[in-house]
Amino acid sequence: MSFISKYIKDVFGAMKSLLTGMKLTGYYATHHKKEKITQQYPDNKETLHLPERFRGEVVMIHDENNEHACTGCTACELACPNATIKIITKYDVMPDGKKKKALDTFVYHLQLCTFCNLCIEACPTAAIKMDQTFEHSVTDRSKLTKILNKPGSKIREGVE
Amino acid sequence: MNASAIIFYVLSAFVLGTGILSVTTRKIFRSAIWLLFSLIGISGLYFWLEVEFIAAVQIVLYVGGIVVLIIFSIFLTQQSGKEMPKAPLTRTIASALAVVFGFVFTYLLINQNNFKAGDGKFDMSVARIGNQMLSTGENGYALPFEAVSILLLAAMVGCIVIAMKSKPEEK
Amino acid sequence: MGLSFENITNNIHDWLYNTFNPTIALLIEFTIIGVLVIGLFSVLGLVLILMERKVSAWMQLRLGPNRVGPKGMFQTVADTVKLIVKEGMTPTGADKLLFNLAPFIVMIVAMVILAPLMFAKGFQIWDINIGVFFFIAISSVSVIGILMAGWASNNKYSLLGAMRSGAQIVSYELSAGLSVISIVVLAGSLRVSDIIASQQDGWWIFKGHLPVWIAFVIFIIAVTAETNRAPFDLAEAESELTAGFHTEYSGMKFALFFLAEYVNIFVVCAIGATLFLGGWMPLHFGTGTKFNEVMDYIPSSIWFFGKTFFLIFVIMWFRWTFPRMRIDQLLNLEWKYLLPISMINLLLVTLIAIMKWYF
Repeated sequence: MSFISKYIKDVFGAMKSLLTGMKLTGYYATHHKKEKITQQYPDNKETLHLPERFRGEVVMIHDENNEHACTGCTACELACPNATIKIITKYDVMPDGKKKKALDTFVYHLQLCTFCNLCIEACPTAAIKMDQTFEHSVTDRSKLTKILNKPGSKIREGVE
Repeated sequence: MNASAIIFYVLSAFVLGTGILSVTTRKIFRSAIWLLFSLIGISGLYFWLEVEFIAAVQIVLYVGGIVVLIIFSIFLTQQSGKEMPKAPLTRTIASALAVVFGFVFTYLLINQNNFKAGDGKFDMSVARIGNQMLSTGENGYALPFEAVSILLLAAMVGCIVIAMKSKPEEK
Repeated sequence: MGLSFENITNNIHDWLYNTFNPTIALLIEFTIIGVLVIGLFSVLGLVLILMERKVSAWMQLRLGPNRVGPKGMFQTVADTVKLIVKEGMTPTGADKLLFNLAPFIVMIVAMVILAPLMFAKGFQIWDINIGVFFFIAISSVSVIGILMAGWASNNKYSLLGAMRSGAQIVSYELSAGLSVISIVVLAGSLRVSDIIASQQDGWWIFKGHLPVWIAFVIFIIAVTAETNRAPFDLAEAESELTAGFHTEYSGMKFALFFLAEYVNIFVVCAIGATLFLGGWMPLHFGTGTKFNEVMDYIPSSIWFFGKTFFLIFVIMWFRWTFPRMRIDQLLNLEWKYLLPISMINLLLVTLIAIMKWYF
């Protein structure tokens, strides 16, 4: 008898789970005006809404004094799985005569980047972040190699 | 010659033509397909005779059942896409003789018995066929029907027994 | 008398037979019907493919086609033009005759099935006395076209897809047939016009209590499988078999397969609507009530197409909700669930029919 009760239970369980699925898609089909998530991209450039966690490219955060927070520690370069980041360091001479390692050039190869976010997680001073720009097409490959620190920028006071 | 006769001759030519193709082609899958067309042509003849039930049964049984089974078994044979070797001359002559013999035999049978053409008015409604099939009275087919049913039941039980997985032995 | 399909067809018929001799008149009628059927097919193809794309888009929170014409209405027209212009390739290793014949077989079968369908009151191509049995018989031929296509392509994906599809159609024909028989038992006739007339005082789905509901659900599941649609589309499972039996087809020959798929959906939904939802019969309860008179104002063709398109929507709903099944699950569902349930259900329906428990 347990076989028959299991059989009947199977049939009703299947019907119930199928109807649950159909209820959701049925709701979507009847409320598609309200729920739709498609962005009609080239038409709505002004009002384009991107999700919060969308990753476009790596940028370095600069404040109004043209100062960034990168110490040149190369943690991001080590974290990157496909050698997208190359950091060139220099030695600043401090007022007391000591030498201190500092960032010279932050080279970012956009064409190699997979937007995996590991560099941002590795950065101890939160100097870089993911931007939401995504219109990356250029006419020449060399234009994809970018220098992220702005000319003349220097490290912010107090960031170690 | 009216439209009905024309349709009859077209259908008969179709049945015979595809039948001949089915035994002369050297690709086995094509042979099955020509057989299929021949059977469809026969069901067309039944439709022409206005015995629709028999025509539909012809399609269900032969086209939907038997030819599909034949095609499946062709799919499972090896090298079924290759062209078969040409039949030896003796075999060709033997089969041609068999055809001629069969034709002459049938022709003589029909000629001697002097069959008359019916007036073409018979009631072949499904309700009548159903009643006849299950009637126990005169000209009823209840007994053969039940015998065939038992045969089919036995075949089905046999299929299930063969297909059943044996339980792993408990230790 | 107003302008109804019944009057138009009767007038044309009478006029043809009064003007010409019977043979010529018959030939002219054949031609008219052929042209009408082909016209219906092309319109159905355009409408159903657009409907499928819109429904799928809505269920997945997308917009669907919206560029060609107002609200994307001419998208399928553009697609058709593209398919016609495309080159129809035949692979070198293919069996050319069968390869080129297969799409036409599938298409012709879909056309022949239309014959006993009643599109409106008195508007039918052929009121054959085996009506429903004709559907079952002819639809079993369509598997041959698929097997031919799979074999002739000389491609392993095509062959596997064809074999799967063959096994699937042969199995699911049984439970579809049994649920059709349960309505035949209630209506007491195979003729399509009789079955519709028996629903004069209410559709079978309302008159026949629970067993007819069960038969209806089984019918819908079985015909979804018979038309090779998701969740039973493993004959053309993209992820495993590229496109199944029509992998090697392109251009217009592919378009014929595609069109036949949608026409088959229309046909099976029309059969379902005829058997369970009363065909062209308006929604009636009992006889001679005020409600029936109001319902009679809606033309019968609108009732028929409304019901058919409702069922088509349900089948599309299945496709965009359920994931594809494995072959063993598919065969389990048929042989262990649908077939035993529909057999027991047929007994219940017979009991209802004998005891006259329906209204």
